[in-house]
Amino acid sequence: MTTLPPPAAPLAPPNPDALATNAMITVNEVSKFFGSIVAVSDVNFAIDGGVTALLGPNGAGKSTLFRMICGLTAPSKGSIRVLGSDPRTDRTVRGRISLVPQQDALFDHLSAIEMVQVSANSHAMPDAKGIAHWALEQVDLADVGAKTVGQFSKGMRQRVKVACALVNDPEVLILDEPLTGLDPVQRRHMIALFHALGDAGRCVLVSSHVLDEVARLGSRVLVIAQGRLVASGDYRDLRSLMDDRPLRIRIGASAPRRLGTALVERGLVTALSLDAHNGPGHLIVDTLDADGLGRKLAPIATELNIRLTEVSPLDDDLESVFRYLVEGR
Amino acid sequence: MTDKTQALRRPASDQPTTERSVPALAALQLSYRVVLGQLTSIARIIALTLLALVSTVAAFALGRSNADLEAAVRLISALGFAVVIPVVSLVFGGAAVGDLRDDKTLVYLWLRPMDRWPIVVGAFLAAVTLTAPITLIPVVLAAVLTGTGGGIVPGTIIAGVVAVIAYCAVFTLLGVWLRKVIVWGLAYILIWEGFIALGGAGVARFAIRKYTRSILVDRTGVDLDLADFSTPVGIIVPLAVAVVALALGSWRLSNQDID
Repeated sequence: MTTLPPPAAPLAPPNPDALATNAMITVNEVSKFFGSIVAVSDVNFAIDGGVTALLGPNGAGKSTLFRMICGLTAPSKGSIRVLGSDPRTDRTVRGRISLVPQQDALFDHLSAIEMVQVSANSHAMPDAKGIAHWALEQVDLADVGAKTVGQFSKGMRQRVKVACALVNDPEVLILDEPLTGLDPVQRRHMIALFHALGDAGRCVLVSSHVLDEVARLGSRVLVIAQGRLVASGDYRDLRSLMDDRPLRIRIGASAPRRLGTALVERGLVTALSLDAHNGPGHLIVDTLDADGLGRKLAPIATELNIRLTEVSPLDDDLESVFRYLVEGR
Repeated sequence: MTDKTQALRRPASDQPTTERSVPALAALQLSYRVVLGQLTSIARIIALTLLALVSTVAAFALGRSNADLEAAVRLISALGFAVVIPVVSLVFGGAAVGDLRDDKTLVYLWLRPMDRWPIVVGAFLAAVTLTAPITLIPVVLAAVLTGTGGGIVPGTIIAGVVAVIAYCAVFTLLGVWLRKVIVWGLAYILIWEGFIALGGAGVARFAIRKYTRSILVDRTGVDLDLADFSTPVGIIVPLAVAVVALALGSWRLSNQDID
């Protein structure tokens, strides 16, 4: 795996020559085009057992990449190997992988136990009913197994999908935004479940567009943006990279010019501009020390007899993180 | 090992092998049961049954007016074989795989260690299971209620069974291949079969209705336009079309992208 490169320069994708050919999932020079739209572009990575998080904003190409890894669609270019086989053409490998799709789709006329049982039967599992009950226990739904899934909340439906994916004891488990709709308790439970599967040697690949989720999902991350794999490595490196980046903040004040001058003089901001879009009383500042600015801003305003009307971060979203990773700004 | 990992461990007898594969018959049964459940909607069944009963009511009225055999055959052909059976087959056949694809549940059958053809054939059989009673009972009852005898009842039964199988297979294929299958199916029924195929014997060969009408004509001796095949031809060709449609649907399902 390539470690996260320094932030100042655009990040290079991992070296394809370095890909492990015997990894559980190998994605080699893979691109996917839909007409003139490039959904995934020259992606390379290889992953083995354990939990790996695929991080990317909405529309980054995560689901398309997952669909290709599961064989649901063929790459336009490049090759994918899952457990050494092509998932698009090899029927037997499909029994060794499971997918939790992003879409909220279930057979709504079935009860939860029937739904999971269908999944077990479709994997030719012996004792499908027993396994379905076991799978529902893993996601804390055993007590409502008799209810039809059409009556379930979004979070419960999400857990049914996970139960369906567990029935074949998959060696490779692909989960596309599996924590969507879950309450905090269930999120913790699911994350613990994914880690347990990873600890048991399964290759668990989980996508998310929420940064805090990824922090809890695993130490290994793949970062995808605009269809390109822009970074891969340890989450802690990504976190420190983000903590080191400048943070942009909008400040509303009764005397923005005077306040801005004071902030520059005291070394709390690295750049500032007046925010014309939000009226005359606003300025936008870049800071490398958000905590320090947060602590000192109010005392400085009081000292200068300036009234603060707004303090809000402008780029605390994932897109800004990706912009920083990809473009170094 | 954590407690959670212990919980994940299943009894040794339940552990799967790495070379699991679902036998074709089991896959077919699975697809059939799932699709049948998906298709079974009380509102849909009631609405289509009411549509089918139109032919029964019309035949009852015809029977009360002491109409002849030709009028009875024309009625069964025009209502039963041109409207009721094709439309009901379209609703169930088109939805058999089409609904799974549209609501994105197809992945639960597709991403499995099984062949594709049992998925398509199971879905087709589910469509036939619902279409047959909803259409055949009212249409055959209509044939009985005309009170004309003369082979109209057996002719209607044979032609009806052939029509249900052929239409369901063709519309199952359309459901695999196309989105908005109802629009395409209605275009086939109304524009192709109902208009273009009436233009001449050559074009009519490519309409299922010509074969079902031929069976009815062959069994009753009534003379209808564009219905000049023998009963064996009227049976074999639509059934062959059904087989080809299911084979094409299976091939298409194997090669298409799944959401």
